[in-house]
Amino acid sequence: MDLASKLEKLSLELVQKQDYLYSVTIDFERLESLLLSFLNEFGYITLDSINCRDDLEDGFFTITYCLQTEERDHVVMIQTKIQRENASLPTMHTIWPQAEIMEREMHEMFGVDFPGHPTLIDFALEYWDNMPPLRRDFDTLEYVNSMNPFREQRNDALDAKEEMKKKREAKKAAKLKAQQEAEAKAALEAQNNPSDEVKNEE
Amino acid sequence: MESGFYGSSLDGNLKCKFEESGLANTHEIMEKAVRWFRSRSIFVVAYGTGCGAIEMPPTFTSRYDAERMGVVGVATPRQADLIILSGYLAYKTLRRVIRTYEQMQKPRYIMTLGSCPINGGMYWDSYNTIKKLDDYLPIDVSVTGCMPRPEAVIDGFVLLQERIRNGEKAGWEKYDENFEFYKENQKRVLGGHIDPSYETDWYNLKSGGKA
Ligand code: SF4
Repeated sequence: MDLASKLEKLSLELVQKQDYLYSVTIDFERLESLLLSFLNEFGYITLDSINCRDDLEDGFFTITYCLQTEERDHVVMIQTKIQRENASLPTMHTIWPQAEIMEREMHEMFGVDFPGHPTLIDFALEYWDNMPPLRRDFDTLEYVNSMNPFREQRNDALDAKEEMKKKREAKKAAKLKAQQEAEAKAALEAQNNPSDEVKNEE
Repeated sequence: MESGFYGSSLDGNLKCKFEESGLANTHEIMEKAVRWFRSRSIFVVAYGTGCGAIEMPPTFTSRYDAERMGVVGVATPRQADLIILSGYLAYKTLRRVIRTYEQMQKPRYIMTLGSCPINGGMYWDSYNTIKKLDDYLPIDVSVTGCMPRPEAVIDGFVLLQERIRNGEKAGWEKYDENFEFYKENQKRVLGGHIDPSYETDWYNLKSGGKA
Protein backbone atom coordinates (compact mmCIF):
# COMPACT_ATOMS: atom_id res chain seq x y z
CA MET A 1 0.00 0.00 0.00
CA ASP A 2 1.52 3.33 -0.94
CA LEU A 3 0.04 5.02 2.13
CA ALA A 4 2.48 2.94 4.17
CA SER A 5 5.46 4.30 2.25
CA LYS A 6 4.13 7.83 2.52
CA LEU A 7 3.80 7.42 6.28
CA GLU A 8 7.24 5.91 6.48
CA LYS A 9 8.65 9.17 5.25
CA LEU A 10 6.99 10.80 8.26
CA SER A 11 8.54 7.99 10.35
CA LEU A 12 5.14 6.53 11.18
CA GLU A 13 4.05 2.92 10.96
CA LEU A 14 0.85 1.70 9.32
CA VAL A 15 -0.47 -1.39 11.10
CA GLN A 16 -3.03 -3.63 9.44
CA LYS A 17 -5.70 -4.76 11.93
CA GLN A 18 -8.17 -6.43 9.57
CA ASP A 19 -8.35 -6.62 5.80
CA TYR A 20 -10.05 -3.23 5.58
CA LEU A 21 -8.82 -1.70 8.83
CA TYR A 22 -5.48 0.04 9.44
CA SER A 23 -4.17 2.04 12.32
CA VAL A 24 -1.53 4.69 12.92
CA THR A 25 -0.35 5.75 16.33
CA ILE A 26 0.94 9.25 16.78
CA ASP A 27 1.86 11.55 19.63
CA PHE A 28 -0.43 14.40 20.48
CA GLU A 29 1.83 17.23 19.23
CA ARG A 30 1.81 16.00 15.63
CA LEU A 31 -1.88 15.00 15.57
CA GLU A 32 -3.34 18.09 13.97
CA SER A 33 -0.78 18.32 11.17
CA LEU A 34 -1.16 14.61 10.43
CA LEU A 35 -4.95 14.89 10.20
CA LEU A 36 -4.52 17.82 7.82
CA SER A 37 -2.11 15.94 5.59
CA PHE A 38 -4.47 12.93 5.56
CA LEU A 39 -7.19 15.19 4.24
CA ASN A 40 -5.18 17.34 1.83
CA GLU A 41 -2.44 15.04 0.61
CA PHE A 42 -3.71 11.48 1.00
CA GLY A 43 -7.35 12.13 0.06
CA TYR A 44 -9.08 10.95 3.20
CA ILE A 45 -12.09 13.18 2.85
CA THR A 46 -14.48 11.53 5.29
CA LEU A 47 -14.29 11.58 9.06
CA ASP A 48 -16.30 8.58 10.26
CA SER A 49 -16.11 9.10 13.96
CA ILE A 50 -14.07 10.37 16.86
CA ASN A 51 -13.90 7.95 19.73
CA CYS A 52 -12.59 8.14 23.23
CA ARG A 53 -11.47 5.37 25.55
CA ASP A 54 -10.85 5.94 29.23
CA ASP A 55 -7.61 4.32 30.39
CA LEU A 56 -8.12 5.18 34.02
CA GLU A 57 -5.25 3.09 35.38
CA ASP A 58 -2.67 4.72 33.11
CA GLY A 59 -4.16 8.18 33.47
CA PHE A 60 -4.93 9.04 29.86
CA PHE A 61 -7.66 9.01 27.25
CA THR A 62 -7.07 7.17 23.97
CA ILE A 63 -8.59 9.15 21.12
CA THR A 64 -9.28 7.53 17.77
CA TYR A 65 -10.10 9.31 14.54
CA CYS A 66 -11.53 7.06 11.81
CA LEU A 67 -10.96 8.27 8.25
CA GLN A 68 -12.06 7.03 4.83
CA THR A 69 -11.22 7.88 1.25
CA GLU A 70 -13.72 8.51 -1.47
CA GLU A 71 -13.57 4.83 -2.51
CA ARG A 72 -14.83 3.76 0.94
CA ASP A 73 -12.87 0.50 0.72
CA HIS A 74 -10.87 0.82 3.93
CA VAL A 75 -10.70 2.71 7.21
CA VAL A 76 -7.64 4.23 8.81
CA MET A 77 -7.68 4.81 12.55
CA ILE A 78 -5.43 7.54 13.85
CA GLN A 79 -4.78 7.02 17.53
CA THR A 80 -3.33 9.34 20.08
CA LYS A 81 -3.16 9.63 23.84
CA ILE A 82 -4.00 12.68 25.91
CA GLN A 83 -3.80 13.41 29.60
CA ARG A 84 -6.93 12.59 31.56
CA GLU A 85 -6.70 15.68 33.73
CA ASN A 86 -7.83 18.85 31.97
CA ALA A 87 -8.03 16.93 28.73
CA SER A 88 -8.19 19.10 25.68
CA LEU A 89 -8.09 18.50 21.91
CA PRO A 90 -7.93 20.73 18.84
CA THR A 91 -11.36 21.09 17.28
CA MET A 92 -11.77 19.71 13.76
CA HIS A 93 -15.16 21.20 12.95
CA THR A 94 -13.69 23.74 10.52
CA ILE A 95 -12.30 20.92 8.37
CA TRP A 96 -14.92 18.20 8.82
CA PRO A 97 -18.25 19.82 9.80
CA GLN A 98 -19.55 16.55 11.24
CA ALA A 99 -16.86 16.77 13.90
CA GLU A 100 -18.88 19.44 15.64
CA ILE A 101 -21.45 17.04 17.02
CA MET A 102 -18.94 14.27 17.72
CA GLU A 103 -16.85 16.64 19.74
CA ARG A 104 -19.87 17.96 21.56
CA GLU A 105 -20.77 14.43 22.62
CA MET A 106 -17.23 13.70 23.74
CA HIS A 107 -17.22 16.88 25.76
CA GLU A 108 -20.41 15.83 27.48
CA MET A 109 -19.55 12.20 28.12
CA PHE A 110 -15.83 12.49 28.98
CA GLY A 111 -15.30 16.15 29.76
CA VAL A 112 -12.74 16.70 27.00
CA ASP A 113 -12.40 20.38 26.18
CA PHE A 114 -12.27 21.71 22.61
CA PRO A 115 -11.00 25.31 22.59
CA GLY A 116 -12.63 27.27 19.78
CA HIS A 117 -15.59 24.94 19.44
CA PRO A 118 -18.74 27.00 18.84
CA THR A 119 -21.39 24.83 20.51
CA LEU A 120 -20.08 23.04 23.56
CA ILE A 121 -23.55 22.82 25.07
CA ASP A 122 -25.77 19.95 26.20
CA PHE A 123 -26.01 17.10 23.75
CA ALA A 124 -28.01 14.14 25.05
CA LEU A 125 -28.15 15.10 28.69
CA GLU A 126 -29.86 18.13 30.10
CA TYR A 127 -28.60 20.37 32.92
CA TRP A 128 -26.02 17.77 33.91
CA ASP A 129 -23.93 19.11 36.78
CA ASN A 130 -22.13 15.96 37.91
CA MET A 131 -18.93 14.37 36.63
CA PRO A 132 -19.21 13.41 32.93
CA PRO A 133 -21.00 10.06 33.11
CA LEU A 134 -18.79 7.91 30.87
CA ARG A 135 -15.60 8.66 32.79
CA ARG A 136 -14.72 5.50 34.63
CA ASP A 137 -14.26 7.21 37.97
CA PHE A 138 -17.92 8.21 37.88
CA ASP A 139 -19.69 5.80 40.22
CA THR A 140 -22.84 5.06 38.24
CA LEU A 141 -24.35 2.69 40.74
CA GLU A 142 -24.00 5.06 43.65
CA TYR A 143 -25.43 7.90 41.63
CA VAL A 144 -28.39 5.79 40.49
CA ASN A 145 -29.14 4.61 43.99
CA SER A 146 -29.03 8.12 45.34
CA MET A 147 -31.39 9.40 42.64
CA ASN A 148 -33.77 6.47 42.20
CA PRO A 149 -34.49 4.20 45.14
CA PHE A 150 -35.69 0.70 44.38
CA ARG A 151 -39.32 -0.21 44.52
CA GLU A 152 -40.15 -2.22 47.60
CA GLN A 153 -40.37 -5.93 46.96
CA ARG A 154 -43.69 -7.63 46.99
CA ASN A 155 -43.49 -10.71 49.18
CA ASP A 156 -46.42 -12.66 47.83
CA ALA A 157 -44.35 -14.07 44.99
CA LEU A 158 -44.94 -17.77 44.41
CA ASP A 159 -42.36 -20.43 43.69
CA ALA A 160 -42.56 -20.96 39.95
CA LYS A 161 -41.33 -24.56 40.12
CA GLU A 162 -43.96 -25.67 42.58
CA GLU A 163 -46.73 -23.79 40.85
CA MET A 164 -45.88 -25.48 37.56
CA LYS A 165 -45.82 -28.86 39.31
CA LYS A 166 -49.25 -28.24 40.79
CA LYS A 167 -50.56 -27.17 37.43
CA ARG A 168 -49.21 -30.27 35.72
CA GLU A 169 -50.70 -32.54 38.35
CA ALA A 170 -54.07 -30.86 38.07
CA LYS A 171 -53.95 -31.30 34.31
CA LYS A 172 -53.08 -34.97 34.68
CA ALA A 173 -55.91 -35.54 37.15
CA ALA A 174 -58.39 -33.80 34.85
CA LYS A 175 -57.28 -35.93 31.94
CA LEU A 176 -57.61 -39.13 33.97
CA LYS A 177 -61.05 -38.11 35.14
CA ALA A 178 -62.22 -37.37 31.62
CA GLN A 179 -60.94 -40.75 30.48
CA GLN A 180 -62.73 -42.59 33.28
CA GLU A 181 -65.94 -40.76 32.53
CA ALA A 182 -65.71 -41.63 28.87
CA GLU A 183 -65.14 -45.29 29.74
CA ALA A 184 -68.08 -45.34 32.15
CA LYS A 185 -70.29 -43.74 29.53
CA ALA A 186 -69.29 -46.29 26.93
CA ALA A 187 -70.00 -49.13 29.37
CA LEU A 188 -73.39 -47.63 30.17
CA GLU A 189 -74.29 -47.35 26.53
CA ALA A 190 -73.28 -50.91 25.91
CA GLN A 191 -75.58 -51.98 28.75
CA ASN A 192 -78.51 -50.00 27.43
CA ASN A 193 -78.28 -51.26 23.87
CA PRO A 194 -77.33 -54.88 24.17
CA SER A 195 -79.07 -55.60 20.89
CA ASP A 196 -76.55 -53.62 18.86
CA GLU A 197 -74.51 -56.60 17.87
CA VAL A 198 -77.53 -58.68 17.11
CA LYS A 199 -78.88 -55.98 14.82
CA ASN A 200 -75.66 -55.77 12.95
CA GLU A 201 -75.67 -59.47 12.33
CA GLU A 202 -79.12 -59.31 10.90
CA MET B 1 -69.18 21.51 43.66
CA GLU B 2 -66.55 18.86 44.15
CA SER B 3 -65.94 18.07 40.53
CA GLY B 4 -67.67 19.10 37.33
CA PHE B 5 -69.65 17.21 34.80
CA TYR B 6 -66.50 15.66 33.51
CA GLY B 7 -65.63 14.31 36.92
CA SER B 8 -66.71 11.22 38.73
CA SER B 9 -70.00 12.82 39.81
CA LEU B 10 -72.49 14.98 37.99
CA ASP B 11 -72.57 18.73 38.14
CA GLY B 12 -74.12 19.79 41.45
CA ASN B 13 -76.70 22.11 39.93
CA LEU B 14 -77.92 19.49 37.55
CA LYS B 15 -78.20 17.03 40.38
CA CYS B 16 -80.34 19.47 42.41
CA LYS B 17 -82.63 20.06 39.46
CA PHE B 18 -83.16 16.35 39.05
CA GLU B 19 -83.99 16.03 42.71
CA GLU B 20 -86.42 18.98 42.62
CA SER B 21 -88.37 17.42 39.84
CA GLY B 22 -88.63 14.14 41.72
CA LEU B 23 -86.09 12.29 39.65
CA ALA B 24 -83.69 11.46 42.42
CA ASN B 25 -82.20 8.51 40.65
CA THR B 26 -81.78 10.13 37.30
CA HIS B 27 -78.39 11.59 38.02
CA GLU B 28 -77.07 8.18 38.85
CA ILE B 29 -78.36 6.79 35.61
CA MET B 30 -76.96 9.74 33.71
CA GLU B 31 -73.64 9.30 35.39
CA LYS B 32 -73.54 5.67 34.42
CA ALA B 33 -74.38 6.56 30.85
CA VAL B 34 -71.68 9.23 30.72
CA ARG B 35 -69.14 6.80 32.07
CA TRP B 36 -70.15 4.15 29.58
CA PHE B 37 -69.84 6.53 26.65
CA ARG B 38 -66.53 7.78 27.93
CA SER B 39 -65.16 4.28 28.21
CA ARG B 40 -66.03 3.62 24.57
CA SER B 41 -64.30 6.67 23.13
CA ILE B 42 -60.73 6.83 24.29
CA PHE B 43 -58.51 9.16 22.33
CA VAL B 44 -54.88 8.28 22.64
CA VAL B 45 -51.75 10.30 22.30
CA ALA B 46 -48.97 7.76 21.94
CA TYR B 47 -45.72 9.03 23.38
CA GLY B 48 -43.05 6.60 22.25
CA THR B 49 -40.55 7.02 25.03
CA GLY B 50 -38.83 3.67 24.64
CA CYS B 51 -38.62 0.47 22.64
CA GLY B 52 -42.24 -0.49 23.45
CA ALA B 53 -43.41 2.10 20.93
CA ILE B 54 -42.85 -0.48 18.22
CA GLU B 55 -45.93 -2.40 19.40
CA MET B 56 -48.26 0.53 18.93
CA PRO B 57 -48.55 0.63 15.13
CA PRO B 58 -49.83 -2.98 14.97
CA THR B 59 -52.18 -2.26 17.87
CA PHE B 60 -53.81 0.63 16.06
CA THR B 61 -53.75 -0.68 12.50
CA SER B 62 -55.77 -3.36 10.78
CA ARG B 63 -54.17 -6.42 12.33
CA TYR B 64 -55.25 -5.78 15.93
CA ASP B 65 -57.44 -2.77 15.21
CA ALA B 66 -57.91 -1.05 18.54
CA GLU B 67 -60.46 1.21 16.91
CA ARG B 68 -63.15 -1.45 17.15
CA MET B 69 -63.07 -0.79 20.91
CA GLY B 70 -63.31 2.94 20.49
CA VAL B 71 -59.60 3.55 20.99
CA VAL B 72 -58.29 6.03 18.44
CA GLY B 73 -55.01 7.85 18.09
CA VAL B 74 -54.92 11.63 17.98
CA ALA B 75 -52.21 14.10 17.18
CA THR B 76 -51.98 16.38 20.17
CA PRO B 77 -52.30 16.05 23.94
CA ARG B 78 -55.05 18.65 24.11
CA GLN B 79 -57.36 16.32 22.18
CA ALA B 80 -56.46 13.19 24.09
CA ASP B 81 -57.92 11.26 27.01
CA LEU B 82 -55.13 8.76 27.37
CA ILE B 83 -51.39 9.05 27.06
CA ILE B 84 -49.41 5.89 26.43
CA LEU B 85 -45.84 5.97 27.67
CA SER B 86 -44.13 3.08 26.03
CA GLY B 87 -40.96 2.37 27.88
CA TYR B 88 -38.10 3.81 29.90
CA LEU B 89 -38.06 7.53 30.56
CA ALA B 90 -34.89 9.55 30.58
CA TYR B 91 -34.93 12.64 32.78
CA LYS B 92 -35.07 14.68 29.63
CA THR B 93 -38.12 12.77 28.42
CA LEU B 94 -39.79 12.96 31.81
CA ARG B 95 -39.64 16.73 31.66
CA ARG B 96 -41.52 16.71 28.36
CA VAL B 97 -43.94 14.03 29.45
CA ILE B 98 -44.98 16.03 32.50
CA ARG B 99 -45.59 19.01 30.28
CA THR B 100 -47.59 16.90 27.84
CA TYR B 101 -49.64 15.31 30.60
CA GLU B 102 -50.51 18.63 32.15
CA GLN B 103 -51.69 19.93 28.80
CA MET B 104 -54.26 17.17 28.50
CA GLN B 105 -57.83 17.92 29.45
CA LYS B 106 -59.49 16.11 32.30
CA PRO B 107 -60.47 13.35 32.51
CA ARG B 108 -57.10 12.03 31.49
CA TYR B 109 -55.44 8.70 31.98
CA ILE B 110 -51.95 7.26 31.73
CA MET B 111 -51.05 3.83 30.50
CA THR B 112 -47.48 2.55 30.53
CA LEU B 113 -46.02 -0.30 28.53
CA GLY B 114 -43.23 -2.54 29.67
CA SER B 115 -41.34 -3.08 32.88
CA CYS B 116 -39.13 0.00 32.59
CA PRO B 117 -41.69 2.50 33.92
CA ILE B 118 -42.52 0.11 36.75
CA ASN B 119 -39.10 -0.66 38.20
CA GLY B 120 -36.51 0.48 35.73
CA GLY B 121 -36.45 -2.77 33.78
CA MET B 122 -33.15 -3.47 32.14
CA TYR B 123 -32.24 0.21 32.45
CA TRP B 124 -32.39 0.13 36.23
CA ASP B 125 -28.76 1.20 36.61
CA SER B 126 -28.65 3.86 33.95
CA TYR B 127 -27.43 7.27 35.03
CA ASN B 128 -30.12 8.99 33.04
CA THR B 129 -33.41 7.13 33.43
CA ILE B 130 -35.97 7.07 36.21
CA LYS B 131 -36.92 3.88 37.96
CA LYS B 132 -40.46 4.33 39.27
CA LEU B 133 -42.67 6.45 37.09
CA ASP B 134 -45.52 6.44 39.60
CA ASP B 135 -43.47 8.70 41.84
CA TYR B 136 -43.76 11.44 39.27
CA LEU B 137 -47.05 10.86 37.50
CA PRO B 138 -50.16 8.89 38.43
CA ILE B 139 -50.45 5.71 36.38
CA ASP B 140 -53.83 4.18 35.65
CA VAL B 141 -52.79 0.98 33.92
CA SER B 142 -49.37 -0.64 33.67
CA VAL B 143 -49.02 -3.28 31.02
CA THR B 144 -46.10 -5.53 31.86
CA GLY B 145 -43.79 -7.30 29.49
CA CYS B 146 -40.59 -6.41 27.77
CA MET B 147 -42.12 -5.43 25.45
CA PRO B 148 -45.86 -6.22 25.73
CA ARG B 149 -47.53 -7.75 22.69
CA PRO B 150 -50.49 -5.94 21.11
CA GLU B 151 -52.83 -8.44 22.76
CA ALA B 152 -51.54 -7.32 26.13
CA VAL B 153 -51.92 -3.67 25.18
CA ILE B 154 -55.52 -4.33 24.20
CA ASP B 155 -56.01 -6.13 27.49
CA GLY B 156 -54.81 -2.94 29.13
CA PHE B 157 -57.43 -0.96 27.21
CA VAL B 158 -60.13 -3.34 28.38
CA LEU B 159 -59.02 -2.95 31.97
CA LEU B 160 -59.00 0.81 31.66
CA GLN B 161 -62.47 0.81 30.14
CA GLU B 162 -63.73 -1.34 32.97
CA ARG B 163 -62.29 1.05 35.50
CA ILE B 164 -63.86 4.03 33.80
CA ARG B 165 -67.22 2.28 33.63
CA ASN B 166 -67.10 1.37 37.30
CA GLY B 167 -66.28 4.94 38.21
CA GLU B 168 -63.09 4.02 40.05
CA LYS B 169 -60.84 6.79 41.20
CA ALA B 170 -58.64 7.75 38.30
CA GLY B 171 -55.04 8.85 38.24
CA TRP B 172 -55.77 12.48 37.46
CA GLU B 173 -57.85 12.80 40.61
CA LYS B 174 -54.95 11.44 42.62
CA TYR B 175 -52.65 13.88 40.84
CA ASP B 176 -54.84 16.77 41.91
CA GLU B 177 -55.08 15.54 45.47
CA ASN B 178 -51.39 14.77 45.94
CA PHE B 179 -50.10 17.54 43.75
CA GLU B 180 -47.38 18.56 46.21
CA PHE B 181 -46.09 15.00 46.51
CA TYR B 182 -45.73 14.62 42.76
CA LYS B 183 -44.18 18.04 42.27
CA GLU B 184 -41.68 17.40 45.03
CA ASN B 185 -40.54 14.16 43.43
CA GLN B 186 -40.33 15.80 40.03
CA LYS B 187 -38.18 18.54 41.49
CA ARG B 188 -35.91 16.01 43.15
CA VAL B 189 -34.79 14.43 39.90
CA LEU B 190 -35.23 17.33 37.50
CA GLY B 191 -33.63 19.90 39.74
CA GLY B 192 -34.84 23.46 39.46
CA HIS B 193 -35.21 23.08 35.71
CA ILE B 194 -38.85 22.21 35.56
CA ASP B 195 -41.37 23.81 33.29
CA PRO B 196 -44.02 26.07 34.75
CA SER B 197 -46.97 24.00 35.79
CA TYR B 198 -50.09 23.90 33.70
CA GLU B 199 -52.05 22.97 36.80
CA THR B 200 -53.01 26.55 37.42
CA ASP B 201 -56.49 27.96 37.66
CA TRP B 202 -55.99 30.92 35.38
CA TYR B 203 -59.41 32.35 36.22
CA ASN B 204 -58.79 32.49 39.96
CA LEU B 205 -55.17 33.46 40.14
CA LYS B 206 -55.79 35.99 42.92
CA SER B 207 -57.28 33.43 45.24
CA GLY B 208 -54.08 31.48 44.66
CA GLY B 209 -56.12 28.71 43.17
CA LYS B 210 -54.91 25.47 41.79
CA ALA B 211 -57.21 23.94 39.23
S1 SF4 C 1 -39.64 -2.73 29.12
FE1 SF4 C 1 -38.26 -3.66 27.62
S2 SF4 C 1 -39.16 -3.11 25.63
FE2 SF4 C 1 -40.02 -1.71 27.16
S3 SF4 C 1 -38.71 0.07 27.17
FE3 SF4 C 1 -37.96 -1.28 28.77
S4 SF4 C 1 -36.37 -2.50 27.76
FE4 SF4 C 1 -37.58 -1.55 26.14
